Amino acid sequence: MNLIDTIRLEKIFHGDAVQTIALRKINFSVKAGDFVAVMGPSGCGKTTLLNILGMIDNWTSGDYFLMGQNVGLLKEKQRTNLRKSNIGFVFQNFNLIEELTVFENIELPLQYLGWKQKPRHERVNELLEKMKLSHRKDRFPVQLSGGQQQRVAVARAVVANPPLILADEPTGNLDSMHGEEVMMLLDSLNKEGTTIIMVTHSQRDASYSRRIVHLFDGQIINENLNKLE
Amino acid sequence: MTGNYFKIGIRLLLRQKGYTLLNIIGLTLGIVVFIFILLYLENEIRYDKKWIDKDNTYRITSRFTSEEKHENIALTPFRLANDLKSNFPEVKEATNLFFTDPSDANDVATISWKERKFEVPDISLCDENFFNVFDYPFLEGHPDSALLNANSIVISSEVAAEIFQGQLALGQSLQTSLRNYTVTGVIDQSAHPSHLNFDALVSVNSLPDEQKTMLERDHFWMTCYTYIQLVDTTDVLDFSYRFNEFQRKGERIYLQDEKLDIEGNLSYHLEPVSQIHFNTALLYDSPTNVDLSNLIIFGIIAAFILLTASINYINLATARSIKRSREIGVRKVLGASRIQLVVQYITESFIITSISFLMALAAVEWLTPQYNKLLGKKLNLFDSLFSSDDPAFVVLLIVLVIGLSVFGGGFPAFMLNRYKPTQMLQGNTLSTEKKQLSTPGIRHLLVTVQYVVSIGMIMSTLIVYAQLSFLNNHELGFNKENVLVVNVPQDTVSRRLIPELIKKTELLETVMGVCATQNVPGFTAGKLLFQSDTNAAGSMQTINYFRVGPQFFSLLEIPLVSGSYFNELSGSDTSTNYILNEAAVDFLGLDSAIGTPFDQVGRSGGKIVGVVSNFNSSSLHRNVEPLVFILSEANPRYIMIKCEDGQRDQVQPDINSLWAEFGTKSGLHFISLEEKLESLYRGDTKLLGLFFYFSLFVVFISSLGLYGLSSFLIQQRTREIGIRRVLGGSQNQLILMLSKGYLRLVLFSGLITIPLVYYLMNHWLDGFAYQISLHAGFFVVAILIALLIAFTTVLIRSFKITKEQPAVSLKAQ
Repeated sequence: MNLIDTIRLEKIFHGDAVQTIALRKINFSVKAGDFVAVMGPSGCGKTTLLNILGMIDNWTSGDYFLMGQNVGLLKEKQRTNLRKSNIGFVFQNFNLIEELTVFENIELPLQYLGWKQKPRHERVNELLEKMKLSHRKDRFPVQLSGGQQQRVAVARAVVANPPLILADEPTGNLDSMHGEEVMMLLDSLNKEGTTIIMVTHSQRDASYSRRIVHLFDGQIINENLNKLE
Repeated sequence: MTGNYFKIGIRLLLRQKGYTLLNIIGLTLGIVVFIFILLYLENEIRYDKKWIDKDNTYRITSRFTSEEKHENIALTPFRLANDLKSNFPEVKEATNLFFTDPSDANDVATISWKERKFEVPDISLCDENFFNVFDYPFLEGHPDSALLNANSIVISSEVAAEIFQGQLALGQSLQTSLRNYTVTGVIDQSAHPSHLNFDALVSVNSLPDEQKTMLERDHFWMTCYTYIQLVDTTDVLDFSYRFNEFQRKGERIYLQDEKLDIEGNLSYHLEPVSQIHFNTALLYDSPTNVDLSNLIIFGIIAAFILLTASINYINLATARSIKRSREIGVRKVLGASRIQLVVQYITESFIITSISFLMALAAVEWLTPQYNKLLGKKLNLFDSLFSSDDPAFVVLLIVLVIGLSVFGGGFPAFMLNRYKPTQMLQGNTLSTEKKQLSTPGIRHLLVTVQYVVSIGMIMSTLIVYAQLSFLNNHELGFNKENVLVVNVPQDTVSRRLIPELIKKTELLETVMGVCATQNVPGFTAGKLLFQSDTNAAGSMQTINYFRVGPQFFSLLEIPLVSGSYFNELSGSDTSTNYILNEAAVDFLGLDSAIGTPFDQVGRSGGKIVGVVSNFNSSSLHRNVEPLVFILSEANPRYIMIKCEDGQRDQVQPDINSLWAEFGTKSGLHFISLEEKLESLYRGDTKLLGLFFYFSLFVVFISSLGLYGLSSFLIQQRTREIGIRRVLGGSQNQLILMLSKGYLRLVLFSGLITIPLVYYLMNHWLDGFAYQISLHAGFFVVAILIALLIAFTTVLIRSFKITKEQPAVSLKAQ
C-alpha cells in the first residue's frame, strides 16, 4: 500500500473576477520511505500540492488517500489528529514561533499530542543533542542563524517521529553551507525510514531525493528516478 | 500546558510593550469607572436592607385628596404610632421620628461640651421604641433604655469621635441652645445605610408637656415619620384597610370635638422600609432618596464604559491578528486544536485583564476620597470587597475578570479560527486574505458602539450643564443677591438678645435691611389648615405657609400685587393678618382677596391684607405652590441681612463683633442665600460632576482605542502610502484619506446616539418643573467635539507616517 495516493486531484482558486487552476487532475503516489522532490517554475502548484498533502488546505475535486484513509471523508478534527501524529512540516521561512525558545518550539508538537512532561523533555533533549543544538536550547529564534533556525524547524518536524515530512523549499532562505547541512539532515532522516516530500527549485537539493516530479501549470509533466538505492 | 499558555502570553505582551500598555491603560480606566459606579450602586441598593425583620417593617405615608388634587407626603401625625400599637395586635412595634428638613444644610445645632463648641447638622426627636425597629449597633449604652428619659441623647459614632475624641461618651453632658442632654448611647450608622438622616437623636420625652399633649391629640398635624413592624402572618392589604377605617373614625370624632370641617380626605398607606430609598414621589421625604431609573441609567453607563474599554482590547487584538496569523497558522499545522488556540488567546486576555484589574483596584482605593467628596458618601472599596454577609460585590468582580478575559480573548480567537492554516501562513502576503483577517466590518461596529457611548456621555453632560445653568439663572421672583442668612440660636438668652442685635445691625453702614424670620425661600415649613370664609361647605384647606418678619418682602424685593405689606399696616392686631401669593388666591378661588376673612383653623378674626407675586419658594424641581405668609416676629429661626453691594464679606465679622459684645455662649452661623439655594440642587450638581468625569473617562478610553487601532492599521498601509506619495499624493490628501473612514464612523455614531439621548434626557428633565428644551445645538456640538477628538487622535499617527520619505515607506512589508 502506498503512503500517499491522489486521484484526479484538482484545486481551483476563485478570485474576485478570475479563477486560477492550481492543480489539474493530478494522480500522484508516494511509497513509504521514499524521498520525492517536487520541482517546477513559480506558480506551477508545488506548494499547493504540498499543502493539500499536509491537510492544511482543501482541494476542489478528486480524492486523496493518506495511509489508506480517504482524507476527503475526514472531518477537520480527524484531519488535525491525523496530521499531528503523522506529518512533520519544514517551511522555507522556518515558521518558528518567535515567543518560544528553541526547546519550546521543538516541544510544541509533543504538547499538542498530549505527551507527559518527562518523556517529552527527554525526547526533546535527545533531539537537541542529535541536531547539535543543545547549547542553543534556551535561545529565541531571532538569536539564531538561518541554518540553526532551519535545524530547529527540522527538529520540530521530526520530534513526534512522523512517518512523513513535507518540506517546502527548506533551503530557500539559507546560504549554500547551511543549505547543505539541512539537506544532509533530511537525507539521514530518510535513511532512517522517514518518507520525505520536498518542494524545491534547487537541482542540488533535488539530487538528495530518490524521485523527482516536475510540475508545470498544475500538471505533472515528468517523473523520474533520481538515484539508485 | 496551562503554564505554557501563561509563559507565552507574558512573553508576547512584554515583546509588544506599546500594545500592552495601551490595552492595560484603556482597560484599567474602564474598570476604574465601572468599579466606582458599582460601588455607588451597591451602596444605594444596600439602603435599609439590613434591619431586623425588614420584611415586616413599613413606613406609613399620607395622602390628602381634595377634589381633583391629591398630595402624597411622607409625614404622619405623631399620635399614629401609638394609635396603631394600642389598637392592632398585629402591630408588633411602632415608632416615630420627627421631621427636620435635612435638605436645609444651614440648619445646624451647636453642641457645647466643656466650653468647646461643635456643629451637629441634624438632631432629631424620636420615641423610646425607635431602636426596636431600627437595630443600630450600640457602641456605648443600651438600645432598650437609651431614649426612655427626657433629655437623653443618642449620638452617632462620628459625632462622638469629633466631640470626645476617643473618650467614653456615655453619661457625658452636652448642651445645646435649648437644653442640657445626657449621652445615653453611641451608635454605629455605617453598618446600616438608610434613608434615615440624623446625627443625634433626642428622646421625645424632652418636649414640654403642653406640646406633647397637643401632638398626642392632633390627627392632622403632620410632623413625624411613623414606622411599624407587623407580625409575620399579617395580611397587609386587610390591615391597611382596617386601620384606615379606624383612623377615619378617630378623625371624625376629633373634627367634631374641635368643630372643624376639612375639605378632602386623608388616607394612609404602607410602604415597605426597603423601598423607601427608591421613592422620590413624596413630599417631606429624605433628600437622599434616589430615583430607581437614575440607578438603572448609571448601571447601563457602567456596562457601556466597560464594553468601551473591552472593545479596545478586542479591536487591537483582531487588528493584531494579521501579524499573529502566521504564528497561529504554525500552531494549527503542528496540531493545535481550536480549543487550545482559544485558551491561548483567553490566557493572554486574562493576563491583561488581571493586571488592569489590580491596577484599577489600586486606583479606586487611591481616588475614593475624591469620589466620596463628589458624591457626599462614605464608600469604601475594601468594605464592599470583603463584606462577610454579602459576597455579591466580590463575586461580581471575579465574574467581571473572567467575563472580560473570555470576551476579550474569545472574540479574536473565534475570528482566527475561521481561517485555514494556509490562509494564515500567507496572511502577511495575500492582501485579500489580510483584509478578511482584519475583519473591518466587526471592528467598525465595535468602534461605532464606543462612539455611541462617548458621544452620548458628551451630549448628556452638555444637557445637564445647560439645565443647571438655567436653574442658576432662572428668575426666582425675588432678589437673592447680597443676602446673608444667619441662624438664630434657640436658647432663651440668645432669643432675648436678637431684637437688640437686629437694631444694632440695622445701624451698620454696610447693611441695607434686616428681617427676622422663621422661613427663608427654598425650604418648606410645612402645611397648615386654613379656613377661608368664601367657601360655604368644606372651606378648609391645607396650604404651605411661611412665618416671616415684616421686612421679608421688601428685603427680598417681592412685588406686591394688591393690598399692603405687613410693615405698612399699623394699629390693628397684625397677628390676624395674612398675605397670600397669587397661586394661593387662585387655589382658593378668590375673586377679590383683600379683606376676605381668612384664618388658621381654630382661630378667628383674621383677614387677607395683601397679595404678592408668585416666587419660587421651593426648589425649581417643583412649580410655584400656594403659599400663605403669617406675620411672626417672635422666636425667629433666621435673620436675613441685605448687604450693600460688595460688602457681604465685611458684614459677617461686623455682626460677629456685635454678637460677641453680648457675651453669650452660642455662636452664629452665616451662609449666603445664594449658597443656601444652591444646596437645593446638590443632587443635580453631583450628577453633573459624575457625568463630566465619566465623559472624560469614556472619551479618553475611546480615543486610546482609536489611537491604537488607527496606528496599527495605518502601519499596515505604509507601503500603500509610499506608492501614493510617489504617484503625487500630498500629505494633506493622505491624512484625509486615512482619517475619513474613522470620521464617517464617528458621525454615524453621533446620528444614532441622538434619539437615545433625547429620550433619556427628556426623562431626566421631566423631574424639573422648570426645564430647558432640547435643541439641535446640544447634539451638533457633542458630535463636533467627538469628531475633533477623533480627527486629532488619527492625525497624530497619520501625520508621522505620511511625513516619511516614500523610499522608506516602500521598503515596508
